[in-house]
Amino acid sequence: MFQWYAETLVRYLLVAAAIVGVMFLTYRGLRAAGVRREPATGFALIIPWFLGFLIWNLFPVAASLYLSLTDYNVLQSPNWVGLANYQQILGSDERFWASLRLTMAYSAITVPLGLALALLAATLLNQGVRGVGLWRTLYYLPAILPVFVTALLWRLLLLPTRSGLVNSATEPIWSLFGDSPPRWFLDPDTVLWGFVIMSFWGVFGANTVIMLAGLKNIPKDLYEAAEVDGAGLLPKFRHITIPQLTPTLFYLLVMGIIAGIQVFDQGLFVKVPQENFLNVYLYQQGFTFFHMGYASAIAWVMLVIILVLTLVVFRSSTAWVYYEGEVKR
Amino acid sequence: MSAPSIPVEAERRELRPAPQPLRRSLTKVPVYVLLGIGAIFALVPFVWMVSTALKTPGQLFKFPPEWIPNPVAWGNFGEAWTALPFGAMVLNSVFVTTLAMVGELGSAAVVAYGFARFQFRFRSVLFLLMLSTMMLPWVVTLIPGFLIWKQAGLINTFDPLTVGSLFAWGPFYVFLLRQFFLGVSRDIEEAAIVDGANAMQVLWYVMLPLVRPVLLAVAVLSFQGNWNNFKGALIYIQEPLERFTLPLGLQFFQASISNEAPRWHLMMSMSLLMVIPVVILFFLAQRQFIEGIQLGGVKG
Repeated sequence: MFQWYAETLVRYLLVAAAIVGVMFLTYRGLRAAGVRREPATGFALIIPWFLGFLIWNLFPVAASLYLSLTDYNVLQSPNWVGLANYQQILGSDERFWASLRLTMAYSAITVPLGLALALLAATLLNQGVRGVGLWRTLYYLPAILPVFVTALLWRLLLLPTRSGLVNSATEPIWSLFGDSPPRWFLDPDTVLWGFVIMSFWGVFGANTVIMLAGLKNIPKDLYEAAEVDGAGLLPKFRHITIPQLTPTLFYLLVMGIIAGIQVFDQGLFVKVPQENFLNVYLYQQGFTFFHMGYASAIAWVMLVIILVLTLVVFRSSTAWVYYEGEVKR
Repeated sequence: MSAPSIPVEAERRELRPAPQPLRRSLTKVPVYVLLGIGAIFALVPFVWMVSTALKTPGQLFKFPPEWIPNPVAWGNFGEAWTALPFGAMVLNSVFVTTLAMVGELGSAAVVAYGFARFQFRFRSVLFLLMLSTMMLPWVVTLIPGFLIWKQAGLINTFDPLTVGSLFAWGPFYVFLLRQFFLGVSRDIEEAAIVDGANAMQVLWYVMLPLVRPVLLAVAVLSFQGNWNNFKGALIYIQEPLERFTLPLGLQFFQASISNEAPRWHLMMSMSLLMVIPVVILFFLAQRQFIEGIQLGGVKG
């Protein structure tokens, strides 16, 4: 068994040596071609990333675009099918649309609400409470668990009937309305809400910490000036805190959208009755059914969705992200 | 830029004389109440996880819920350890995490130094290109990446999870380190260069020691990321069980849970065994964790 380690270790060291070799040759080559010392060193130093970019980004992106236009299935060499995969995905693939709906609904709910909750937590922590460090640790704790452990834990907490802690604790509330408690991940109608609740648990981690740092960076004299003018808590929050924090919010929104649409780990650790997230569907197409051409096409559809959404947020940012000058609403 | 030091900030505020101490602390009551509710929401699932990990199958779904299992089933950890080849999985995870961390940090430092300190053509274009790859969905490069490793005959080895790290696969870490290299005064470096040191020596002996706190923060994030790397293991390691990493082992085990076989106690003890290193690291290096996270956000 240690042989596996040894083999990987040898190849790892060989690749490392090869990269260093390429760096050295790049430097020598550039110097021989009459490039000055500084640019030659600079180029040589970024070689590890540049090689990686060619091998792990540029080539795969081009290859996956090509594969998306073929019927590649691992066993046979790819046959060109033109846009057929895309036509099938967008035209008649019910499972694609169902996964897309779940994924988009999930992002549309969790990204903005998650930001709002994290902002609430950060604002509270910023009120000069005692033991900020301790509170911050408590709020960050759920975020140190890997997503899939969180998923397992919430799958347990959200078990149906009285088995799950959530349902046994809230049963009186449901029976008050004459309802039986939801069956969460076992009922296609409530799967989304199971995932949403799960996501809120981890949301306080990174986002709260980043927003708290953002809040600390707001100049104190802005608040002091507003207090002199007699501004209350809410006006201060609305006219100072929010505008000053918009660069942070913008960053977190973009990152949140990109991550939200790509949710994956959760989906593979929770059994759901019908459709799962888009990436889980893609994974099944590619690695369970080996429809690799088809899966590549789904990946490109996802890339386009992410690009469009990011572009929209970037475009809108001129209207609401405050860097200097007045806030436009 | 310097990392904001929050504890000092908080102390200063508490030292500031409050005009009406009683009223001021009274107005904070709702704040503490809300914070407390949030903290309960954050903590209760943890407690339930530990509690479930220590239950016998018969205690799992008792109503009303039992918080402190009686008797405490310590044997679950032993059973969880043998239900899967857990020892091998731990070793695999340690091996993969170590190599990937070293490769990721080493290459990121070299590349970041190149971007930070040397003028060359297309430098900003290349840097932007690097940052833009962070936006690329991983599924776009997934299948060709898989085919590369398959062509090389290295599916079911640890290579895909480790060797790629040598190519600075974490642009975010390059970005962070570059920001900090930019903040180091050039005089220190120049003294070393006059002494005849080459770029790699300057990086190793001068620059890296100077940015050690950031390096630690990045190391902590990198450990967490690689230790929890589920996707990579799922794609590249299919068999045998002895070659699984911990996340993959957990996923394998969860598939066997059903209404007929509710092995949640074992599932939770396995999860606990897996997260314990990260939890310990978090408490040891809390500052680095939180700073690492903040740096990402503030610079963004």
